[in-house]
Amino acid sequence: MAARRALKAVLVDLSGTLHVEDSAVPGAQEALKRLRSAPVTIRFVTNTTKECKRDLLERLTKLGFDIAENEIFTSLTAARNLLEQKQVRPLLLVDDKALPDFTGIVTEDPNAVVVGLAPEHFHYEMMNKAFRLILDGAPLIAIHKARYFKKKNGLALGPGPFVTGLEYATDTKATVVGKPEKTFFLEALRGTSCAPEEAVMIGDDCRDDVGGAQNAGMRGILVRTGKYRPGDEDKINPSPYLTCESFPEAVEHILGHML
Amino acid sequence: MEAWARGVRGLLLDISGVLYDSGGSGGGVPIAGSAEAVRKIKASGLKLRFCTNETQATREKFVKKLQGLGFDISVAEVTAPAPAACRLLKERGLRPHLLVHDDLVPEFAEIDKTNPNCVVVGDAAENFSYANVNEAFRVLIGLEKPVLISLGRGRYYKETDGLKLDVGAYMKALEYACDVEAEVVGKPAKAFFESALAEMGVPPQEAIMIGDDIVSDVGGAQQCGMRAVQVRTGKYRPCDENHPQVKPDAYVNNLAEAVDVILSQL
Repeated sequence: MAARRALKAVLVDLSGTLHVEDSAVPGAQEALKRLRSAPVTIRFVTNTTKECKRDLLERLTKLGFDIAENEIFTSLTAARNLLEQKQVRPLLLVDDKALPDFTGIVTEDPNAVVVGLAPEHFHYEMMNKAFRLILDGAPLIAIHKARYFKKKNGLALGPGPFVTGLEYATDTKATVVGKPEKTFFLEALRGTSCAPEEAVMIGDDCRDDVGGAQNAGMRGILVRTGKYRPGDEDKINPSPYLTCESFPEAVEHILGHML
Repeated sequence: MEAWARGVRGLLLDISGVLYDSGGSGGGVPIAGSAEAVRKIKASGLKLRFCTNETQATREKFVKKLQGLGFDISVAEVTAPAPAACRLLKERGLRPHLLVHDDLVPEFAEIDKTNPNCVVVGDAAENFSYANVNEAFRVLIGLEKPVLISLGRGRYYKETDGLKLDVGAYMKALEYACDVEAEVVGKPAKAFFESALAEMGVPPQEAIMIGDDIVSDVGGAQQCGMRAVQVRTGKYRPCDENHPQVKPDAYVNNLAEAVDVILSQL
């Protein structure tokens, strides 16, 4: 059996792992303090299309978590990184609340298209604008491709169907940057000088968090909080490196067995 | 060289991109030489039928518009998707929720639209608001057996102010959202071309389709056993000269050129 490389980075999912709605997972704040005593880089990772890092930081700080803004990595960050790498100027079809995460990115005379969950932008005129850019060669970047989501008054279309329509009309494929895409996890590690094999992801979503991370070469710890349902660990192959009760137990395992 | 133009008894003509480009305050701009080409076909004794996926207006309305632009065309000469869809809806007892252009609605006047058990999507243009697409989605996802009928599956078309998303993009959006497959009424569906040929009374081997959409017009027609010619007007783009699947029987600059070649071979 090949020797395991030392653990150098820990990725932590937010909703369902550190907190559930407006309550912290019991013992999570203390567990995070203990994790910080280890020689690992920590990143807090989440899919979101309308919460900028500042808003997330505010919510977590209020819940008693000691976190720095630059430790937060979201699907919006992943999109921003891709734009910077490709050196393109995006047409941003994203929620206004997400715009702060794109500060400093030039949007005049766009030659790329970014699509998040933004119903106010999915009207015919804007869709045509995006379509023409992509047909002319602009890359299409999708924050994620969710089909629909639940609102108080019924189901509502997510960005996925509109991205699919644009892909069909332009005969191109979007680059999807959110979990469970490999790009997301690799981008989260950018700047940490850690390889995937030196990282572990802790999350409550077996497919998107653990499956996605393991597919990128990391180890995955599934926690039984948030959206976890009994039997989830059997739904991915290979199964999670570890399944445990919650974030505090995951941290104990890391401190005891993975350093 | 012009072998493709021999042994012809009837022509199927696409409208948008072949006769005219739609859009603008006047409703559209004729393509140079097209009106004259139509007249020449009619004077030659060849049979003629217009085979269109036009769904932004009733047949009456867009035929009137084309007559105003100088074209010799009548409703009786047109094969269009809405009437074909109505036949299908009646046959199968389907009551549609319509996601279509306001001006197409009259084509469905005789159709029961209460308590919908399917969605019909057409080229709705400005009616493709998030709210409208979402409403159609909610109807579909709420059905035990979702049925989505799409009037064509084009990717885009040309208007005077540029290329615009066609019904196909929104068909794909709803297919993805509901995990269903749409049934296409209109080009490139075989049944649509076959009904046009039947109405014209010409077998496929003796008919030629002339169109600007390499997949819906040219590819679709060839799959019915017809010859098909790609024009370089309308939505044509240079990459169409190297389409990986479709090889038109000929590329011509425009309808006028196609007709001159065909008539020279009579």
